[in-house]
Amino acid sequence: MESKSGANEQVVEQANIAHSILKTPSTFSQYKALLAKDIRQEFRTREMLTSMGIYALLVLIIFGVAFSQMPSSYEIMPISGGLIWALIVFTSLLGLNRSFSHEKEEGSLQGILLVPLDRAVIFLSKATSNLLFLAIVELITIPLFYFFFLSSEIVADTLWLAVIPIIVGTVGIAGIGTLLATITMSTRGKDVLLAVLFIPLSYPLLFACVSATSAAIVGDSMMMSNYISSVALAAGYDVVMILVSWLLYDYVVSA
Amino acid sequence: MNENVKVGGILDQLANVALVLGLLLTTASFILTFTIVPVPQSNLNVVPADQPPAEIGGLYVTNALMFSQKIFYFHMPVAVISLGILFFTALFGIMFLIKRDHRWDLNAKVATEVSLVFILMTMATGEFWTAYEWNAWWVWEPRLTTYLILTLLVIGYFILRNAVDDPERRAVFASVFGILAFIDAVVSLLITRIIPSSRHPVITREGGLEPLMVMALVVCIFGMIFLAYGIYRTRIREQRLRIRLDTIKERLED
Amino acid sequence: MDPILQEIYSTVLGGAPFVIGAYALLWVVLLVYILYISLSLKKTEKQMAALEEALREKK
Repeated sequence: MESKSGANEQVVEQANIAHSILKTPSTFSQYKALLAKDIRQEFRTREMLTSMGIYALLVLIIFGVAFSQMPSSYEIMPISGGLIWALIVFTSLLGLNRSFSHEKEEGSLQGILLVPLDRAVIFLSKATSNLLFLAIVELITIPLFYFFFLSSEIVADTLWLAVIPIIVGTVGIAGIGTLLATITMSTRGKDVLLAVLFIPLSYPLLFACVSATSAAIVGDSMMMSNYISSVALAAGYDVVMILVSWLLYDYVVSA
Repeated sequence: MNENVKVGGILDQLANVALVLGLLLTTASFILTFTIVPVPQSNLNVVPADQPPAEIGGLYVTNALMFSQKIFYFHMPVAVISLGILFFTALFGIMFLIKRDHRWDLNAKVATEVSLVFILMTMATGEFWTAYEWNAWWVWEPRLTTYLILTLLVIGYFILRNAVDDPERRAVFASVFGILAFIDAVVSLLITRIIPSSRHPVITREGGLEPLMVMALVVCIFGMIFLAYGIYRTRIREQRLRIRLDTIKERLED
Repeated sequence: MDPILQEIYSTVLGGAPFVIGAYALLWVVLLVYILYISLSLKKTEKQMAALEEALREKK
């Protein structure tokens, strides 16, 4: 009796396993698996985070040198929005360049492409991991920027509003950057090419984000009147560009 | 490579007609601009202090807008057309991604090339206008920057093409980037319109164009469209000839 | 000709060098490109002729 029921259970279990193997996983679980792969890899090697973090710190030092000959009472507030975005752009370029290095070197992208999954999932998972790493680096470097350059200034009460354009801008950079990194991954001179393609393409986003960030830091009522339209435009850019990248990703990654 | 690359069809003959027509119309517009088109009567509220308006023939005109405004009749058509051609780059890119026919890729490449020429012409005319009206050769003014970005995007397109060896892959990447570049150009134009900027004259919005001015503009726009088409078609013809030549050479070697 | 324009031309010509410069540069850019196209077209046609010649000799 006992052995029979054991065998029965085994059969049921095997059937369950077979069922779970044959069933195609949902798009969301595919997305989760790909994202988890990137995150696990990053937390094992910490390659991207350390290089991006150190690079950001170096950019801050260069800013410090650039301002070293300024008179002591110079106004840094109106340009600090621009400086923050210069920092984010340079750092993100470094990260985006490396985002596909594992896939390229170990040929694992070929493996992923063999799996019958929607290519858009690859785009979304890669963009999310890029966004995540970029956000972690920003969480460290932007307070550091405040500490180095703004701590002696009287910043406006609206400073917290700067968070919104930074989030919107980072999402856009991760989205469009992922598509461009996929393109430049298989070209000659990929590092330079990514910058050549990425910076002009993200110009509208940068322009809107700098306008909104500076407005929040300065808190001037005239600049604040542009704040909402700038954030809305940056968000509009995000929606349009990410949608287009999402649609075109299939062609790029299969080429 | 493709076999059915026709050379010398009816479109190629039309190209020559378009070139001649374009040259005639642009010359006509040029003559109109300097003879019968009146000068703009400047808005006395925005006259700069160092350039007081002068009364000439019963019209109040200022130095700033008087003569340099003549650049506008070529600057504006060329700028509009450069963006218009970029639209075709995006369109041909979409066609290539759907049909996977390299003819569309060639079309897109040539269209971008012509667009680059028109963008350079826009920059050249715009620069001289800036230099006279604002007393500076370069101002980081959003609309100017937008055009600089457009130039960089189109140059980036060609750098991208040169960096990929496999023709199939090159065509796909170029198509995708062409689509993105056009959307980006439109978005940056919108953004610079909405986020207020100070100095670039937005002439049509103020409704300050007289019928004669519009006429000179329209003649120039049509002339430039014909020129652009003529150049585009001639270039396509040359490229197709080259492709055919290469196929024949390859076959002879075999 | 517009009488106002005539008077302007005879009085103030401050912007003239800039206008002339702008138009000149515009046509220079266009002409250079057209020249480039026609030169490469000629080159291709030359190669075509050479190829035809080679074919004829082969036969």
